[in-house]
Amino acid sequence: MAEVILFTAFALTAVAFALGVIFRRNAVHCALHLVGVLLSLSGMFVLLNAQFIAAIQILVYAGAIMVLFLFVVMLLNVKGETPLLTPGAAKGFGFLFALIAFVELLWIVLAPGGEEVAPPPAPPLVPGFGSPAAIGRALYTTWLFPFEVTSILLLVAVIGAVVLAKRKFF
Amino acid sequence: MTGHGVPLELYQLVAALLFTIGLVGVLVRRSALVIFMSIELMLNAVNLSFVAFSRLHGQMDGQIFVFFVMSVAAAEVAVGLAILVAIFRNRETASVDDVHLLKG
Repeated sequence: MAEVILFTAFALTAVAFALGVIFRRNAVHCALHLVGVLLSLSGMFVLLNAQFIAAIQILVYAGAIMVLFLFVVMLLNVKGETPLLTPGAAKGFGFLFALIAFVELLWIVLAPGGEEVAPPPAPPLVPGFGSPAAIGRALYTTWLFPFEVTSILLLVAVIGAVVLAKRKFF
Repeated sequence: MTGHGVPLELYQLVAALLFTIGLVGVLVRRSALVIFMSIELMLNAVNLSFVAFSRLHGQMDGQIFVFFVMSVAAAEVAVGLAILVAIFRNRETASVDDVHLLKG
């Protein structure tokens, strides 16, 4: 019962903050609403037995990435756009296509799954499911090669950001 | 079922809602900064979906994938914001309606 109440609270706050992200005029407010979404999602991760991912979500996403966002927003000092949304027919098409995509997603989520009517019962969780030790063991054995590729990706991103920030391109 | 109270479909429903809201933000907002934030919103919706399925199957591969999605998002934000700062320094604008020529 407690899970249902917590899930409802996290889901409602996440959706409300998400609407704030796309409909607030001030970019700083948008960024802070996005932090609210990230915190709600990390609560849901805890409900789903993903404690390590929840901690990483707060540390990396709400901490590092959103600080970068806020830093750039305040550095650029962008005025609130006077027409908030893109003008003309593009706005209508945007809402229309998003609605179509949402209906498709709903169809995927809620449609009955063919001949398999009853979902298989959830297997019992291994002890330490979602703990840092278990994640680390999987990350450094099964997923070692993707992990190393990720380090190269981050290195390239750092070099790219420095090059873009130092030279004049436009 | 996820084995406790809340069925998996509800997590997927929340993920679909967040993804759609992010999609609306990308399609209708003018500020490139808010478009970046909407992309982060969509990535997080997918992360929620991954974690829910990981819990459903009792395997941690979905959580490992969330880890990789987060590092890709960090790289994307770093490079994207650097491009945005470079554009803003030269054009004094962060609106995607003003930067649509693909040439200087």
